[in-house]
Amino acid sequence: MSSISQADLDSMNNSSKKEIANFLDAENSKQRVQMQIHDFTNSCFKNCVSSITSPDLSAQEEQCLNSCVNRFLDANIRIVQNLQNVQ
Amino acid sequence: MGLGSFFGGNKSTTTDDNVTTATISNDPASQRIKAQIQQELAVANATELVNNVSKNCFEKCLMAPYSQSNDPCIDQCLAKYMRSWNVISKTYVARIQNASTAGEI
Repeated sequence: MSSISQADLDSMNNSSKKEIANFLDAENSKQRVQMQIHDFTNSCFKNCVSSITSPDLSAQEEQCLNSCVNRFLDANIRIVQNLQNVQ
Repeated sequence: MGLGSFFGGNKSTTTDDNVTTATISNDPASQRIKAQIQQELAVANATELVNNVSKNCFEKCLMAPYSQSNDPCIDQCLAKYMRSWNVISKTYVARIQNASTAGEI
């Protein structure tokens, strides 16, 4: 993978710059979702997977992971709403 | 989605996005900038995943008194973690989509 030189940046016209800006916006929002999934998996795995006896998730574990994400988001929404009311 | 997606396997989806969000230019410099950004994001994601799996599977598998061989536990734990990642990703993305069709975000 070659790195980007100053000459590359200087040679870019306005439409290329716009293209890069759009690209960065898109990648940024994708990456935010990606990091949130890392975070959820990290904490929900701790909460939901108790013993490692098989490489497959049991039905309860899968249910627990789903609930873990949904309850976290519910809690998050409620907290934001409460804080908005305080203001 | 497997580990491959962290190492640039997601290229196909990102090119799909480009088609919808921007006009594709043939400017080689901007193509290279994009490729490098995607490469670095893939590395960052892979690092994050390896760190998280290491922490979690270390905790779950290397409990005292180290009675039996722990290798199968680590392998199974990794498989389980990846499956958890997929389940959570599906649930979270579905939730985001619901919220956005409902106009909440």
